[in-house]
Amino acid sequence: MTAMDLTRARRIDEVTWELGTEYAPGMIVPVRFLADELLVGQIGTDRSLEQLINVAMLPGITRFAIGMPDLHEGYGFPVGGVAATLTPDGVISPGGIGFDINCGVRLLATNLELARITPWLETFVHELSRAIPTGYGRHGRLVLERHQLERVLLEGAGYVVRELGLGVPADLTRCEGSGQLPDAEPAGVSARARERGEDQLGTLGGGNHFIEVQRVVQLYDEPAARAFGLFKGQLTVLIHTGSRGLGHQVCLDHLGVMDRVSGSYGFTPPDRQLACVPFGSPEGRSYFGAMCAAANFAFANRQLLTHRVRQVLGRILGPHFPHPVASTVYDVAHNTAKLESHGGRLVCVHRKGATRALGPSGFELPDVYRGVGQPVFIPGSMGTASYVLVGTDESAELSFSSCCHGAGRALSRTAAKHQVQGHVLRKELEARGIVVRCPSNLELAEEAPAAYKDIDRVVEVVARAGIARKVARLEPVGVLKG
Amino acid sequence: HWRPRGTGVALVSHQMQPRHEFRAHTAEIELFLAAPDLRSLFVEAGRALAELMAGEPLVPSGEAVEVAVRAEDREALLVGWLNELIFRSERDKRIYLAFELEQLTPRSLIARIRGAEPRTLKTAVKAATFHLLKIVEAGSGFTATVVLDV
Repeated sequence: MTAMDLTRARRIDEVTWELGTEYAPGMIVPVRFLADELLVGQIGTDRSLEQLINVAMLPGITRFAIGMPDLHEGYGFPVGGVAATLTPDGVISPGGIGFDINCGVRLLATNLELARITPWLETFVHELSRAIPTGYGRHGRLVLERHQLERVLLEGAGYVVRELGLGVPADLTRCEGSGQLPDAEPAGVSARARERGEDQLGTLGGGNHFIEVQRVVQLYDEPAARAFGLFKGQLTVLIHTGSRGLGHQVCLDHLGVMDRVSGSYGFTPPDRQLACVPFGSPEGRSYFGAMCAAANFAFANRQLLTHRVRQVLGRILGPHFPHPVASTVYDVAHNTAKLESHGGRLVCVHRKGATRALGPSGFELPDVYRGVGQPVFIPGSMGTASYVLVGTDESAELSFSSCCHGAGRALSRTAAKHQVQGHVLRKELEARGIVVRCPSNLELAEEAPAAYKDIDRVVEVVARAGIARKVARLEPVGVLKG
Repeated sequence: HWRPRGTGVALVSHQMQPRHEFRAHTAEIELFLAAPDLRSLFVEAGRALAELMAGEPLVPSGEAVEVAVRAEDREALLVGWLNELIFRSERDKRIYLAFELEQLTPRSLIARIRGAEPRTLKTAVKAATFHLLKIVEAGSGFTATVVLDV
């Protein structure tokens, strides 16, 4: 691993750093990253900045490649990397979105206080684990007919709500893009991708995917919290999953094509995972359409999981409380490429492990959030707090209206397992009253708090950078790990 | 010492033994492979993937199935081979752990694979990537690096 020479980084303000185009041959735009001194040190320990420098070499990239405060090493783009390319001649790169297309989060706010449901908390989390399959689990899946899958790819969460009746209209208005990317072209989704996805709707998956049951412990911005339907002591549920195998296969299929044809467009990427083609090329349009279709599958997946959570909520808490409700606060994507207008130009914004963060005047906001801003969720690691933030108008200029998507890993899984014993962590979490459902202690150790950056610090940098403001702090009381 | 590793190739003591390591990568898993020849390198890659996915000792069962993979070059073929196993594992809900490479060229392979149905999945592997991908011919064999998205 090459050590980065960060002494050449220019400090733009207290949390914004820049590496100029002179830093490495081939850079078209500067690299920016948001960090305080300690996070700079952490970022410098892996290859994330090298990867961001590679991104700065992509043809058609505009203004800068920017790393969010949770920046860490990925493949192709770093996780927490954002880049905008001019359309139609700038490139689109599947490596800038990742395999888990539209991995994202949805926050559900209940009308219940945690303090009142504590006697049933363990049963609630346990029943969630029974209702929602992880890994290869077969229960709870929605197996789709071919024509149904086609509609999901086109209509996203809307198909699940309108046609299957598994949700309410407000679920859709409170989703990024109403739970549907309009440029979906299912024709670009291969038979293999469909085969992988046909029985995966309503599944959580593995890795860092999770469902977390939480309590709102602190409000920082009461008007925004009120607009989002949040109050202190409230029981909330955060769902983190994506497009499952269907999305992975879409990325794989189109990455293979781009790997073959990148050179014919006159560009040899510095990292093969950054294979790319002009956005307006046949291969670029085909990938974009398929990627949007996979993103719609992910929106539908989170909608179906929302339905499962509501079923369990009603079954376990319904007998004790009249009309328990879990309302969607918002659903936001982490891994996408979207056509957006920035600086008067239509650009393709790649967000890899980063989330959109529109300010109060963002025209894509649902009416209910106009004048407030888009809810932004920053989940912490297992056992640490998560944050609800609200996007700012300034983020358009600062970060292409983007914010970070989590705490960001600081340790590899191997290192985490060396430092943390899963069974000890399990006991620690349980001693703190957190109900954990994860079959393997080793997997638990991989996602231990010590493996992640300090979420409070990451959120503080976000706020100081001005790309989002703090609204509420949520602490976990139950975790179902994928 | 020598021991057959399912490739039909007898390995003598001075040769590189097939082995793999999961090396540190902040977000994903970096798989390092070493083997005396390309055939055993590909077999070792399959074994490493199975070890990563399985949380328990598994015994292959059922009929072997034939797998054919084509790619642009041998590095892409290694990635394609792993992605073929990942796809089949996910579709069939099985982990493939026994491999016979019937044919291997720089751009194609044909293999027969056998698997087992696990009770649980230890690590869900999304894909093998092109990032940091390399196959290097060393004096006594081959080494390879592949980053797996997990």
